Amino acid sequence: MTARRMLVALLALLSLDSHFGRADVQAAAALPRVVLSAESIAPRQIEQRTGEAVTHDYAQAWKDLAECLNANRTDLLGDYFAGEAKRRVTQRVTEQKQAGLRTHYVDRGHQVKAVFYSFDGGEMQLEDQVQLETQVFDAEKMIYSTTATHKYLVLMTPGSDRWYVRFLESVADDAF
Amino acid sequence: MWRALCKYCIPLATATSLAFAQGPALHAPSTVSAGSPFTVSAGGQGKAAFYLLGPAHVSKRTIELGQDISIRGEEVTASGAYQAVACDSNGCTSAIVQVLPSWPARLSFLLHPSRVPVSAPKAVNATALVFDRFRNTVIAPAKVDFRLSLAGEKVTTRTVQTVRGVASFQMDARPKQGALEVVASLGETAEPRVIQQVASEACRLRMTAVPGGGTVKLQTDPIRDCAGNPLPDGTIVSFTKTDNAGRSTVDTPIKKERASAQFGVSGPARISVACGVVSGNEISIGGRQ
Repeated sequence: MTARRMLVALLALLSLDSHFGRADVQAAAALPRVVLSAESIAPRQIEQRTGEAVTHDYAQAWKDLAECLNANRTDLLGDYFAGEAKRRVTQRVTEQKQAGLRTHYVDRGHQVKAVFYSFDGGEMQLEDQVQLETQVFDAEKMIYSTTATHKYLVLMTPGSDRWYVRFLESVADDAF
Repeated sequence: MWRALCKYCIPLATATSLAFAQGPALHAPSTVSAGSPFTVSAGGQGKAAFYLLGPAHVSKRTIELGQDISIRGEEVTASGAYQAVACDSNGCTSAIVQVLPSWPARLSFLLHPSRVPVSAPKAVNATALVFDRFRNTVIAPAKVDFRLSLAGEKVTTRTVQTVRGVASFQMDARPKQGALEVVASLGETAEPRVIQQVASEACRLRMTAVPGGGTVKLQTDPIRDCAGNPLPDGTIVSFTKTDNAGRSTVDTPIKKERASAQFGVSGPARISVACGVVSGNEISIGGRQ
């Protein structure tokens, strides 16, 4: 982990809201804004520290995702993506690079609802509503631009020192 | 007929990117199933660049306006929102195609822990994730059957309906030791997992002593848990002796349900036995038992 990334992570942790049990947690300004609500989670309740870690790591994952899609660099994905989510983003980046494209995200913030946390703490499912400004460039020409709310179904699993995004699937507007 | 067809189409006017509304008119289905081919039509004349931008796939090709653009099933295996974009000299237009998960075809089944003491309450945790054949989470409710079998016991089945692609349950460990097989199944897909149920803590731990010639030989009765399951060979049993020479402990593994040890004794001695968190009887040598 670079010194810069460590600093970003530290700032994010220091700024986490301590009222997680009642309300929400927000990641730092350096990361995309993630507000996590865990009031309807089942079957296991979420511990405060776990909520803080998930919030931070999910925000960091989106930051890495945006940088990766913008720079066409798959090496930025290793820290917070794993499994199918990593495979899909890697494929997307590889193919858009081959096509001479890049994608620029302006992340306006995530409203995340934790909905499933397995009995043994091994999996957590999130519903994310993100306000995203998306621009796609073919070389220097912008071919697509939109600002919209997108919904994602997310599966995260814990690693030794962080939570990984294993599935990140955009779903239809009426999915939740 | 036309109304029915248009139900599945997104005309140019509803395309998301109004900034590029001067490009060729695009018509695409609003939803398709993952892995299913479909066509996009781009109105006009001449050549244009066509892009398909998906969660795991990006392609760019030159198209002839006025002709259908075929999208192969392999290009839309990942569920999610795809942007179809067409650009000509006048600008770009786009349409969104929502690729939905296909039918359930795969299960990821997690069963924890791998070993569990018999009768432990709420100790067995099962979580099954339902995917289509392209590893898209199947959000629509589906019923997952969990078949539980343990040698010598009646097979039981529990059915759990998925919520957002997840089916999970928790249960007590069975009272009998052995391999508990749990098979999660959905349609023709089945995923077996095994938990080893092991004996719980020792119950009524008891030893006997045979003194003679300055030594005492100790042996436990068969060591079993409260349900009668023998503790496995190798489980450590601790014998502790306290006499005039001080205190000494011998840790010895269970062999064929019993553990044994031998101490030299000098004068009166007290000997105790323990296994895990369970203490057994205590014996006094050179005094009364």
